[in-house]
Amino acid sequence: MTFRPFKKYGLLGINRRNACYTLARNPRALYPLVDDKLKTKELLEAHQLPTPELYFPIRRNYELRLLREIKFLKEFVIKPARGAEGRGIVVIVDKFEGKWKKSSGELLSIDDIEYHVSNILAGLYSLGGVDDQAFLEYRVRSHIIFRAVTYQGVPDIRVILYRGVPLIAMLRLPTRESNGRANLHQGAVGSGIEMIEGVTLGGVHRDKLVDCHPDTRIPIAGIRIPFWNQMLETAVRTFEVFKLGYVGIDFVIDHILGPLILELNARPGLSIQLANREGLLPRLEAIDALGQEVENLSWQERLALSNQIVAKRSNGKR
Amino acid sequence: MNRKVYLLAILLILLSTASITTKMVRGGQMVSPEFSRHLWRLNIVMNLKGKGMPAKVRLTLPKNTERQTIYNEHFENDEMVFYIRIRDKDLTGNRVGFWRSELLDGSKSVQYTFSAQLKSLICSIPPNLTLPLDPFKSYPQEFHKWLDPSTFIQSKSFSIKHQLKKMIGRQKNTAIVMRRIYDFVRGEIRYRTEKRSKDAKETLKNLVANCGGQARLFVALSRAAGIPSRIVGGIILSGGVKNTTHVWVENYLGGKWIPFDVVNNHFASIPNHYLELYRGDYFLCKHVGLSKFEYFFIIDTEKMPPVDNPWSLYALPIHFQSFAKVLLLIPIGALVVSFCRSVIGIETFGTFGPVLLALAFRGISLWVGLLCLFIIVFCGWILRRILDHLKILVIPRLSIVVTMVVIFILGMMIIGFHFGFQKILFVSLFPMIIITWTIERFSVIQIEDGTPSALKAGLGTMLVAIAAYYLMAVRVLRVYLFAFPELLLMIMALLLVLGRYTGIRLTELWRFRAFNSLDNRPDRRFF
Repeated sequence: MTFRPFKKYGLLGINRRNACYTLARNPRALYPLVDDKLKTKELLEAHQLPTPELYFPIRRNYELRLLREIKFLKEFVIKPARGAEGRGIVVIVDKFEGKWKKSSGELLSIDDIEYHVSNILAGLYSLGGVDDQAFLEYRVRSHIIFRAVTYQGVPDIRVILYRGVPLIAMLRLPTRESNGRANLHQGAVGSGIEMIEGVTLGGVHRDKLVDCHPDTRIPIAGIRIPFWNQMLETAVRTFEVFKLGYVGIDFVIDHILGPLILELNARPGLSIQLANREGLLPRLEAIDALGQEVENLSWQERLALSNQIVAKRSNGKR
Repeated sequence: MNRKVYLLAILLILLSTASITTKMVRGGQMVSPEFSRHLWRLNIVMNLKGKGMPAKVRLTLPKNTERQTIYNEHFENDEMVFYIRIRDKDLTGNRVGFWRSELLDGSKSVQYTFSAQLKSLICSIPPNLTLPLDPFKSYPQEFHKWLDPSTFIQSKSFSIKHQLKKMIGRQKNTAIVMRRIYDFVRGEIRYRTEKRSKDAKETLKNLVANCGGQARLFVALSRAAGIPSRIVGGIILSGGVKNTTHVWVENYLGGKWIPFDVVNNHFASIPNHYLELYRGDYFLCKHVGLSKFEYFFIIDTEKMPPVDNPWSLYALPIHFQSFAKVLLLIPIGALVVSFCRSVIGIETFGTFGPVLLALAFRGISLWVGLLCLFIIVFCGWILRRILDHLKILVIPRLSIVVTMVVIFILGMMIIGFHFGFQKILFVSLFPMIIITWTIERFSVIQIEDGTPSALKAGLGTMLVAIAAYYLMAVRVLRVYLFAFPELLLMIMALLLVLGRYTGIRLTELWRFRAFNSLDNRPDRRFF
């Protein structure tokens, strides 16, 4: 444990992220747009940005009866609108003798589902325990290229945008430990992505550097992310809708629909630096050095700027 | 941005320093420079034992006079009825505290703590003052009490009058008369400690007495000469524990009460370690209905001068002063939390939960408190797991957990008290809502993120609570915060600076430790 890597790689710490980036660049008034996934979804759909289709929201307890409709559904995802760190998400993959099968294989009755949704509404999974809303959406099925390095669930790709310029990205792979969720806190594996080609580098699992997926033992480096350029383009265009200065955009790649924006995060985590073996500060400072006009660039220009900045790796390896 | 924050912080610090210095200087200014000043802290302890009948204890309490200031008074009455009366009827103006109990059985310990600022006093008797021909005419009504004889001061008796005549003859000059009386009592009466003070006549007969007998004789002779004179009782202060009191004399000369202490040879002067408790020929304390009574004084020096302006916390009623003391601890706790979160990076359940826990631990002591907390959370967690199977809606479920927490706490109180562990009663101060949320968050995190994550946050909460507890226990900090609440501005300044701390959290060194091994790691990338 030394301070050396913080200097050498330009690692960003939580305090600095909060004080200089999230607090300074993300206007408080815009937080509800990303903290409430229902609002995010509406906004994305209104601007023709791809996102998994919303089936129906459940905003009040009496709307629980809407859940009767799911008897016609075979697969869907239940999400809390304000859930944090993937909490409260239930993925239904199949219907089986009047019960629904979770991605973990557990069977849920209609009562179990109703109980879960009422817990969501009461705010059990929301930030600060405030009342919440739930919604059902299209279940994304993972692109085939990730099958070998995924344990249940769907991997997602997080791209961090600073003032509209993509700076760093990571592929998040669910593990048995994370219960099929793509969240590093819960034990998912993160893998850095080379930004120009869209090819994965090594990975990180629970603060440790790894080369293989811990469950499948398949190497996670060298995967070429499908639709990479299209995804970056979508990310850059998202900035025009959300105007958050420092934001993480989570994509999933559906085997039919291609890249979809799952959610936005106004306080993206810092483990992405471990996954990329790369500090964020040099890139952030490179953009700040350009002054005020960065926000006024067109999305094509910002994409070009991103390519220019990520080309320089701080530790000189390529 | 940083500049503004630092400027504001410096401004706050300056503001609080300015306010504190003003207070301190102003506190000192109330003492004229010719007096040397002494600060003392006294604790008068009275141990009583009742015999199963109504009991009453009386203690004269010190008053503010021109040479002494009493402040920071605190009474611990041990469940007895307590009240203060000012004795105006007998013209002494003594301040008397009464402790009563309708049926006193067993032992009680009553404590009275206060600080005193004392000054020395050196007077001179006007040289051209003469004795009045008829003292009862020349002094107004309220002085007659100090001219009349009383039970132990027989100023009208023959032996006293005769002695006075022998000493002063036809001398009419007050200063000379005072000197003669003083020299007589000081020179002729031998000092000896006695169980019971002699009265004036006895003292004159035996020529041996303690301070009480000598003072009575002095007063009797003065009154016989037609000078208003009274006994003053108090304590000679010196560090340590003692139970002896002292009496001396004050004579009304030239429109002023002038002190005399024959025993310790202070003529028309009084040093700065004499604390006055009562005036007149009284006893310091009296009691009825007790089988045992003892008292002693614990005397120490005080460092804080009286901040006796009406805008200070000391001006509040005593009972609310203790509330204020608790309130002052909260910012200290918040400071600890901020430091632990943004500099060290410890995760906790809830932001200010640890502060409330630390506050609750003050009564019950830290380790017992932690043990109780652990038991409550553990039982609550088991209950929460059981409730999970019943599919109860969140709010009612939380309410059930709250109720269970209350039941656990009440149960602990009953059981602990039954087995003679009284401290456990303080468990009732536990922040039940915070504990309930802790149980809830613990269960959820445990299910969602696994047991290690939940235990980590639990451990973090405990660590921060312990740190806050120990900082709150620092006595100096509490005393100064109470005397100078302006220090809160300094805490705010510290928090401002903490709020712009953009450096690394200590736990991040651990989180990003993998970067250390990056250099010597074989590069297994595919390009």
